[in-house]
Amino acid sequence: MEAFFEHFRLWLAAFLTLGIFSFLYKDNPWYKLTEAIFVGISAGYWFVVLFWDNFHGKFWVGAGEYSINWVVAKLTGAQAPPPPDSSIDFMLWVGAFLGLLMLLRLVPKIGWISRWPLAFIVGSTGGLWLINYFASNVMVQAQATMVPLFSSAFGTGFDQNADAVIGALIIFLGTFSGLVYFFFSKAHTGVFGGTARVGVFFLMITFGASFGYTVMSRMSLLIGRIDYLLGDWLGMIK
Amino acid sequence: MFKRRIPLFILAFVGTLLIVSVFIPPMENLGEDFTLFFDIIAVFAFFLGGGNLVRIHFGKLRRRKKDWGFSIVTLVAFFFMLTIGLLKVSSVGGVWNIPLLGIGDPAAIAASPTTEGSWFQETFNYVINPLQSTMYALLAFFVASASYRAFRAKNREATLLLLAAFIILLGRTPFGMELTRWVPESFSVLQIPNMAIWIMNSPNLAGQRAILIGIGLGVVSMSLRLILGIERSYLGEDRG
Amino acid sequence: MTSKLFLALLLLPFSGLAQDDPAGVDMLDTAVVVVAPPTSVIAVDHKYDKGERIDLTWVPSIDDQLVEGKVLAYRIYRIVNDGGPQLVADVATGVGPYQYADEDLHRDSIYSYYVAAVSSNYEAASTRTAPMSPQREWMNLDRKWLFLIALIVGGSVLLFITAARRGTKLFVRKIAGLEAVDEAVGRATEMGRPILFVPGIRDMDDVQTLAALTILGRVSRVIADYDTRIFMPTSRSLVMTAGRETVKAAYQAAGRPDKYSDDMVTYYTDEQFGYVAAVDGVMVREKPATVFLLGAFFAESLILAETGNYIGAIQIGGTARPAQLPFFIAACDFTLIGEELFAASAYLSGEPMQLGSLKGQDVGKAIAMIAIIVGAVAITIGEAWDVEFMHDIVTWLSGVFSTR
Repeated sequence: MEAFFEHFRLWLAAFLTLGIFSFLYKDNPWYKLTEAIFVGISAGYWFVVLFWDNFHGKFWVGAGEYSINWVVAKLTGAQAPPPPDSSIDFMLWVGAFLGLLMLLRLVPKIGWISRWPLAFIVGSTGGLWLINYFASNVMVQAQATMVPLFSSAFGTGFDQNADAVIGALIIFLGTFSGLVYFFFSKAHTGVFGGTARVGVFFLMITFGASFGYTVMSRMSLLIGRIDYLLGDWLGMIK
Repeated sequence: MFKRRIPLFILAFVGTLLIVSVFIPPMENLGEDFTLFFDIIAVFAFFLGGGNLVRIHFGKLRRRKKDWGFSIVTLVAFFFMLTIGLLKVSSVGGVWNIPLLGIGDPAAIAASPTTEGSWFQETFNYVINPLQSTMYALLAFFVASASYRAFRAKNREATLLLLAAFIILLGRTPFGMELTRWVPESFSVLQIPNMAIWIMNSPNLAGQRAILIGIGLGVVSMSLRLILGIERSYLGEDRG
Repeated sequence: MTSKLFLALLLLPFSGLAQDDPAGVDMLDTAVVVVAPPTSVIAVDHKYDKGERIDLTWVPSIDDQLVEGKVLAYRIYRIVNDGGPQLVADVATGVGPYQYADEDLHRDSIYSYYVAAVSSNYEAASTRTAPMSPQREWMNLDRKWLFLIALIVGGSVLLFITAARRGTKLFVRKIAGLEAVDEAVGRATEMGRPILFVPGIRDMDDVQTLAALTILGRVSRVIADYDTRIFMPTSRSLVMTAGRETVKAAYQAAGRPDKYSDDMVTYYTDEQFGYVAAVDGVMVREKPATVFLLGAFFAESLILAETGNYIGAIQIGGTARPAQLPFFIAACDFTLIGEELFAASAYLSGEPMQLGSLKGQDVGKAIAMIAIIVGAVAITIGEAWDVEFMHDIVTWLSGVFSTR
């Protein structure tokens, strides 16, 4: 039985792998089947993970279970659970309450209440990231760009410090002209437009560098899949 | 009144609170608390998303729309995963364990359904995992076609992009090393691997910085528009 | 057996003495590795926290040497409210810095510490620090400059918004990618094909998703006006919910609430590549004339953009993830780079107030540019000619822009 399952798994994985690859030729029933399996299985997967990790692990263990036991004990006159320790955080009910409000969308007449949790989420995302992004992106990057354009630390003689000096100048000019490109208040004409254009060149080199950097790793992914098909599945390469 | 004002009030209140919390030590954990709330809300929201998935595919099935057969597959796959995950199903040596239904060993998968050996995790390993890696591997083909297109675009920007990409790519291979081995040591910066390093550390860094600074400011401005209620289209209130 | 235990118990109170008295140890003539204790142990309240941390520093034992050092570690002991000492942590030797942060303390307790240098079989304790309680501060003064500069930038945004509300005319340059939106929607209308809007794969706790939704508000308004079909697959339930609110509002604003349907915005799966597989399927089957790829994208950016290209759609991409931007540049017709993604909705709205906020961003850019120029020039002059004054400027500027 185990041997059967072992084979079944190998063939299943190969079947799904080829199903996805078949998309490169064109859309076809094999791909559609693979896609249907992928969507169904993975949607279920994530709900289960969300349920156990977030709902059970965070809310239920952190507040829900204790609160409900307490209410039930009060209602039935049974002995109330011992006072909560530090692992219990009743604030988590805020999240659960907002989550329940979200579900009111299913009730057409009062569905508009679901905008409250939405407003809560948007407000907290905006507020949370505003200073975070400002600090980590604007302040840190500006500080990092305050570098010497030439310095004895670069070494002496042209062959030793030419690339360092040019590098420092390039970082300075590139950052500056890149920022000019993003300026919204002035049309890209004249000297300003010229600088913005230089900024675009720098952006393009940056994109090219990321592009080139990624190509290799993508190729190794493909090699990994081919290795599975030819090696693990068909046993053609050992 | 309730429909319009309350969401805007919640938005402004929560947003301001979180901005201020960065500067007030007793409030410094507020961000974490709110992230926790978000995680819990997201679980409830899944009933809407998952419900939508089920509704759409049942609809296709009922009306026998084109490709309705695949809808059956999606539904079966979805409910299969929910069942084995929520019930923490596992089987060891032919013995079934469904602890939540009182079948088999109650402590079989005590902690998480993602424990190795559970049906849930097995399905992840043999279905989701190969699918993920194969989708990921498709990128190799798409990178090739995108490079080809960039190559055909005959303007200065595209040329720069490709040139940089090419040098970085070569710089990461032994071939790049061989290609410029003849360049004398005093001009070692012109050797391709060194050029690649120089591009990464200088012009690339400059571009990254400009982009990052711009993003930081963009976030500040957009967040303020949202918190002030100037931008509220997502709340179902487009005044435009 | 019992007598041995009795003897041990009897001697127990004295056993500590032997440890505290190195001379006594020597007399016993065992191979005890005696070390000197650390000195100058100082406990200070950690500044700008909510009162739950005390920072300890000490001068290492003279026997703590890199070569043939006898000290293996430092043990931190804590005494709470005159209780017995508790071992809190072992700190490694050799590299420094010699410090330890004791966390999760209570403001209403009194703490005192000592640090012991530990050899292979001996512990030499320092003197105890003076008893103290951690203090709570109400304002993090370490971040005063961050606060001030953020206030200036945020204030400028508000100022320009107010100015615009009063009727001041504000100029904002054309942004090519956004000028194309109308045209792209119009094209779909002419061709009688739908528009696909992909809001990235992150949830509502990512600012890029919020940016995508604000743009969706504007785009779907145009779509509603043109009476074109829009299709928005999402990979997060919350994004689906917010997306529906957005599109619905746009249709209402356009006076066509009857044309809106929940089926325009649907959820597939939270799984990154599962979602991509589904969206790819939608692309080749529905053949949208226009594809918007706006929001937080990861490796899937290129899969989606290339499939869009394959079906011949006009594509407008945009993300704030620098690593994915090159793929949009290569495969999309227009790309919103970083800041442009966040500015897009304000730009598209054309409302003076919204445009005002973009002007505020520029003030931030100007501050950053001036700081970079002043900083770089000062540090260069300072280093080249060793000018004290320039060094001071650099130190000050670095302090201002530091974000501890």
